[in-house]
Amino acid sequence: MMENTSSNATTAKIRAKYAQLFTPDDYREMAALRTVPEIADYIARSARFKEAFSEVDPNTIHRGFMEELLYRENFETYIRLCKFQGLDKQPFFGFLIRRSEIDCILSIINRINSSLDRAYLSDLPGYLIKYLDIPVMELSMSQTYDELVSGLKGTRYHRVLKKVPVRDDGMADYTECELALRTDYYAELLEQADKGFMGGVSDELRTMILREIDCRNIINAYRMKAYFGYTPDEIKRRSLKFYGIGKRQMERLYEAEDAAVMMDMVNHTIYGKNSPDTDNIEVEINSVKIRRLRHYITGSTHAPVAVYAFLQLCDIDVSNIVHIIEGIRYGVEAAAIEAQLITL
Amino acid sequence: MAIEKMALVNIIGRFEDLDETLLRCCDSGCFHLEPAFKNEQNSTVKLLNEKNPFGVPLKEFASLATEMDIGLKETPGTQFRGWTAERFNELSDKINSEIDVKSNEKQQLAKEVSDLEAAVLQVNHLRGMNSDFSKIFACKHTACRVGRMPADNLAKLQYYDQTFFFVPFETTKDFCWGMYFCANSDKELVDSIFRSMFFERIHIPDYVTGNTDEALKKLDVQINDKKKRIEVLGKEIAELAKKHENTIQEAYTALKKRYDIFELRRKVGAVKEKFYIKGFVPKKESEKFAGLFGDMEEVEVVLLPPDADAYVTPPTVLKNGWFTKPFGMLVEMYGLPKYGGFNPTAFVAITYTILFGIMFGDLGQGLLLFLAGFFVSKKIDKRAGGMVSRVGLSSMIFGTLYGSVFGFEELLDPVYESMGIDFLPLKVFKQSTFILLTAVGIGIFLIVTSMLINIYIGFKEKNYEKAIFGCNGIAGLIFYASVCAGVVCTMMLDMDIMSVPFKIFLIVIPLICIFCRVPFSIAMKYKKWKLSEDEEDMTIGGFIVENFFEMFEFLLSYVSNTMSFLRVGGFVLSHAGMMMVVMTLMDMTASAGKPVTLIIGNLFVMAMEGMIVAIQIIRLEFYEVFSRFYESDGKAFEPLSVSFDTEINV
Repeated sequence: MMENTSSNATTAKIRAKYAQLFTPDDYREMAALRTVPEIADYIARSARFKEAFSEVDPNTIHRGFMEELLYRENFETYIRLCKFQGLDKQPFFGFLIRRSEIDCILSIINRINSSLDRAYLSDLPGYLIKYLDIPVMELSMSQTYDELVSGLKGTRYHRVLKKVPVRDDGMADYTECELALRTDYYAELLEQADKGFMGGVSDELRTMILREIDCRNIINAYRMKAYFGYTPDEIKRRSLKFYGIGKRQMERLYEAEDAAVMMDMVNHTIYGKNSPDTDNIEVEINSVKIRRLRHYITGSTHAPVAVYAFLQLCDIDVSNIVHIIEGIRYGVEAAAIEAQLITL
Repeated sequence: MAIEKMALVNIIGRFEDLDETLLRCCDSGCFHLEPAFKNEQNSTVKLLNEKNPFGVPLKEFASLATEMDIGLKETPGTQFRGWTAERFNELSDKINSEIDVKSNEKQQLAKEVSDLEAAVLQVNHLRGMNSDFSKIFACKHTACRVGRMPADNLAKLQYYDQTFFFVPFETTKDFCWGMYFCANSDKELVDSIFRSMFFERIHIPDYVTGNTDEALKKLDVQINDKKKRIEVLGKEIAELAKKHENTIQEAYTALKKRYDIFELRRKVGAVKEKFYIKGFVPKKESEKFAGLFGDMEEVEVVLLPPDADAYVTPPTVLKNGWFTKPFGMLVEMYGLPKYGGFNPTAFVAITYTILFGIMFGDLGQGLLLFLAGFFVSKKIDKRAGGMVSRVGLSSMIFGTLYGSVFGFEELLDPVYESMGIDFLPLKVFKQSTFILLTAVGIGIFLIVTSMLINIYIGFKEKNYEKAIFGCNGIAGLIFYASVCAGVVCTMMLDMDIMSVPFKIFLIVIPLICIFCRVPFSIAMKYKKWKLSEDEEDMTIGGFIVENFFEMFEFLLSYVSNTMSFLRVGGFVLSHAGMMMVVMTLMDMTASAGKPVTLIIGNLFVMAMEGMIVAIQIIRLEFYEVFSRFYESDGKAFEPLSVSFDTEINV
């Protein structure tokens, strides 16, 4: 209920920051570069990452560290935006921290399932440590799923993960854990959007979150159908039970005969494009998503809506850069790299 | 006040003479080059697309100049006349060999200094370490690595079981500088752990010995020694530069010219063993131009009428007198008329000058503008200055009529009284209605004049739609003039001239002509009835709808264009108003401040209003006047030339 006109400064700040995101022309220029140092230099000169790369030597920087710096800048942008007008005092604005916690827990589960215990310690993004509410360093030492769950005692993740059945080998199914954690995350987020804000803000946030979930569900369902041959029931069971386009319409997509039919049906929803390219469903669905997020940033006067939309755009921006870096590293042609980018 | 007559020039000659021919074309300063072919595939004339041989030596001389710290400037000379690219290459090699050794040594030393400075930077971060580097690195059972890691990852170190310890020296915003030690046997594992945390290892050069302070001192001495040697080498190179400077400058200037002339070959055609150049020269200079090639026996210059080649359009050069010349700038800004078209510069010059005087009438400020224009024309830009001085003169004349001198509106009253002229000076605020009505009158006059010009051009081009039936043709002129006369007589002179025949013959029939201007002009030209010249299937309905909206736009433009001239009167009032404010402010200030207020006020009004008035008149000329008759579809006359430039895009 704290939403008021004073948060207009945050929306104005976001619009200014929005102008610093890379444009398709920038991506094109980057994709045309030949080496990782060149791209590091390009990024280091950009307005958005200049500060983050100030102490870095583009000629010697490790590719992994460069990616970490990009993600760190996104996270710090989030922290700065939330602190700017004290928005971090409202529970809703902890969304990125909670999402990062979930990502950490899922990575640890993945490591445990692959018997690569402890290896997560080196991969854990250092910049997150001081912001997370879970003892992530201690958790990274867990050697079994039970150890991890008991390490999470006192947090809401303990309650969620305890319900996930443990197999005979002492491990838990990764996708089950992911489904449970993300269901809990989105349920909490939607509740906070409902209770924490009034009227238009709440509606806009709800719509945006539900559409984000829809995109995730459609992409996952398409993959399950196209690459793993899952049945509609299996897909339904493994999808998040929140719907932006309505339960019936989403289930119709799950029940589609095959992936091509499903894509054709998606094309007739709000997530469809005129010329869908089923080779890269993620690019297709997300490029539609970008248009909507841009609309929120330029049109909405509500700080929570603008912050949430902007951070998603930042994520897409960094994921595009990471794609370009990967492409350059493996000598992929510029045109092929560009085809993998999420742009309008 | 017309357009300069042109002559088409064809030059044919042997390839050996091509460069010299192009050079003479450039030097003539009056030759406008055209591509020798229109469509290469269907022509016997082929494109000359050779690699420019002067590119390499040009680059060489530019880099020699950079190496020797010589600032390149245009230095004409004759010693390189007729030199080939190979000879230039030989010369650059010769000069290069003299400075090569010294220059290479200097570069090598600069690199070493840069490496040493980088080492200083690294060692600076290890200031906390007081042990001898060489001793640490000489340990047999212990491995040690110096470097930096992201400060975020420091917290992770305590969670590793492996036996190592990390000694931090300095922590910045993002990085922690330090070194880690581990047993030689664990070296690979520990290295991989640190690598996974993005530890960047720094290799301390062998020449860094002792503890950090000692190492820094040694490095400092080495850097200073090398810098001194660089300085000595710099002086030696400077001496060599002094010796060769003139040669390099002259060679570069000559090369640049040869390079640019060679580049012009792209527009030259080749027919078997001969080259073919096509272009235009002003007719009055054509004989003199042809005479330039009199001594070249194998080069033939053929002068033809400008319309002899259907593939090329002659360029336009405005021919203006001394008064109108500066105003050619405005016409060029809008776009040049086509060759043989109407040159509106004189019309613009007269109307612009008068309108400026009316809108910015002040004897004192006009005088300042005149002087400023005179100064600008001498020192900065002849045409801009010329324009300013002319409008300044006009401002002085109208300022005298208004009796305004630097805002003092009563200063000239005694003069007029002594001369017995009682209707002058015009008191702007007392006669504001008269001024506004006069402004509209000026507008009507200018619009009618524009229409007359349009009719003249239309008949000249045999374009009957334009001359007779168009909204700016005879029909438009009759309609507009009749309506204006009707309004003036009825409302101002109490004369009722709007009789039925007046309305039918002078208003309705011209309107019908404008409405049906296309079919009427087709009927007149081709003696057949057609609704549209371009569209074969134009229906009556489509014709009526299309012309109804166009008529609406024409009628609206008559009103809006006329009313637009109200701004002329508006600015007369605004100028007087602003000066009144300056006077009021001057009265309010103490006597010592009065002159300052007067000067600043006048300068402010001159700068602000002068610019606004200048822009507003340009707007009036372009929108209300030019739009009625002027078509800017000409191309500029660009005499062939090569310019000196230190930037090379070879």
